[in-house]
Amino acid sequence: MNKESVNKAPSSKTPAILFTLAALVIVSAIASITFGPANIGVNDLMSCLFSSCQNQVANVVIWQVRIPRVLVALVAGMGLAIAGAILQNTTRNPLADPYLFGIVSGAGLGATIANISLVDNLTIALPLAAFLGALFSVVIVVFIAKVLQHMEQLLLAGVAVSFMLGSITQFILYFGEPFATNRVIFWLMGSLARVEISNFYVISGVLIIAIATVIALHRQIDALLLGDESAASLGVDVDKLRLLMLAICAALTATIVAYCGGIGFVGLMIPHIVRQLIGVTTLKLIIGSALIGAIFLIWVDVVARSSLPEAEIPIGIITSALGSLFFLFIMYRSRQSNL
Amino acid sequence: MSTLLTVSALSWKIQHKSILQNINFNVRKGEVIGIIGPNGAGKTSLLRCLTNQGKLLTHVSTSGSIQLKGRDLTLYSAKEVAQHFALVMQKNDAIFALSVEDVMKMGLLPHKSLFSINNDHDKAQITLALSKVGLSHELHSAFNKLSGGEQQRVLIARALVQSSQILILDEPTNHLDVYYQHQVLQLVNQLNITVIMTVHDLNLASLYCQRLLLLNKGELICDGTPEEVLTSSQLSAVFGLPCQQGIDEITGASRVSFYLKEQLQQAEIQTDE
Repeated sequence: MNKESVNKAPSSKTPAILFTLAALVIVSAIASITFGPANIGVNDLMSCLFSSCQNQVANVVIWQVRIPRVLVALVAGMGLAIAGAILQNTTRNPLADPYLFGIVSGAGLGATIANISLVDNLTIALPLAAFLGALFSVVIVVFIAKVLQHMEQLLLAGVAVSFMLGSITQFILYFGEPFATNRVIFWLMGSLARVEISNFYVISGVLIIAIATVIALHRQIDALLLGDESAASLGVDVDKLRLLMLAICAALTATIVAYCGGIGFVGLMIPHIVRQLIGVTTLKLIIGSALIGAIFLIWVDVVARSSLPEAEIPIGIITSALGSLFFLFIMYRSRQSNL
Repeated sequence: MSTLLTVSALSWKIQHKSILQNINFNVRKGEVIGIIGPNGAGKTSLLRCLTNQGKLLTHVSTSGSIQLKGRDLTLYSAKEVAQHFALVMQKNDAIFALSVEDVMKMGLLPHKSLFSINNDHDKAQITLALSKVGLSHELHSAFNKLSGGEQQRVLIARALVQSSQILILDEPTNHLDVYYQHQVLQLVNQLNITVIMTVHDLNLASLYCQRLLLLNKGELICDGTPEEVLTSSQLSAVFGLPCQQGIDEITGASRVSFYLKEQLQQAEIQTDE
């Protein structure tokens, strides 16, 4: 694997960059409320947010539709980017991503089974089944890595489990009822159209636990950046730390995927940007990824809900398209710098 | 000098294959000890045992004991072991663009609690350690962009920040040119702390180590001063090549040269003629 080239800001600029990003998160969150099918002007927004709302339609749209959606986009973007950042640093692999650990395939299988067998109460059953499916896939991945006695093979085990669960899902869908199949396929494409404020609370809870744990253990995760042997010589229990971080990423991604469906590439793309902009050590990477991930998903969701006049574009389609273009750009740029 | 470390009847097996057999030696405070021997002799494995790194491997069984300050090493927590031993590895697996400062901060880990942040004392410690290895000006440089010798010096500086009593180096001169080999080993000698290192170059080991442990096939063959260990008969038996021992005219240290049998025969024929 090629070592990354050095191109990061001096550490003295880091606080200013983080402060700017934090301000952009707030501005993005507020400004994005005005975008969407229903026309909400800046005046309506300001009066509904900070004083008594004159326009009752705007009041309902802002407080019951847009704000929950923007808040879920904010925490989902933070969570997915943080999960990618944690995995990349703990596995020392810049291509590590929660999706590569089979988490989304597991969630997809859970959602498929729920759709086929528990059609009556899908509001609760679908996210719950997706969450359990995601955790199930992680348990299998860790079990395989343990049996093989090589935690470095987590990623390969993840890819294998991902394909296995994906094939089971496709098998079920192939023989399933067409309406249920459609529902699952749309869910897998990702959308924030049906999120509620309660989803924000749940994702935020998991996010806070994840961030607190990573902040507590950031020195230990940093120690892994120079190799397992180096980390162990500094007193780090390498396998335990890696398992704990994987569990945190699984819980974080599973919760987000359960409510928002499949949103790919965020965990892969955002940490790359942060490493170039701020630095590679865990604390900087996590904070930077959280802020840029939030800004990214807020605006991607704006594009998803306001690009087409009568319909929404599934958010996962946009993130995947942007992600693939981003990686082509990265490949082109690294080729240019090697010439 | 007081005894820091006592290794008694240490044996180590990986998947039923014997790696170390009945190793016994003491390490006294301030000694610079070189572990020498052919490839596969068990040099790096011995270092792994000393720093409790065996945990990273699977199917390992250990017998015998390692006592650190009179207490069994297994009774120390991983953090306590890190407070006593600092390890400088042969190679690093850095993928991301770490700065020298990032690497140096890692050395603080064994002395930090979970949510603690770096204070002025930590920064001063990092600056002091880097100045000791002559790399103060590289604090913000990219670690990967430094030369092999400079990377070794940064890792030694990190070990100083770790404030451990014993510095363990695994082949510190590997991949370094002659200039950096001497520079790194001279630096290690000037630190005035206890050092245990594996060294491939016997002449460098003789020059910079006060004591040598000669290993072969997992057994400790000889433990003594370079003059006691680097004898022609002993080295010939261990390395399987004819060897001649002498004294270096400039340094006064023991010096060894190995030859192929054919080369010695050729030299004898030429002398006779």
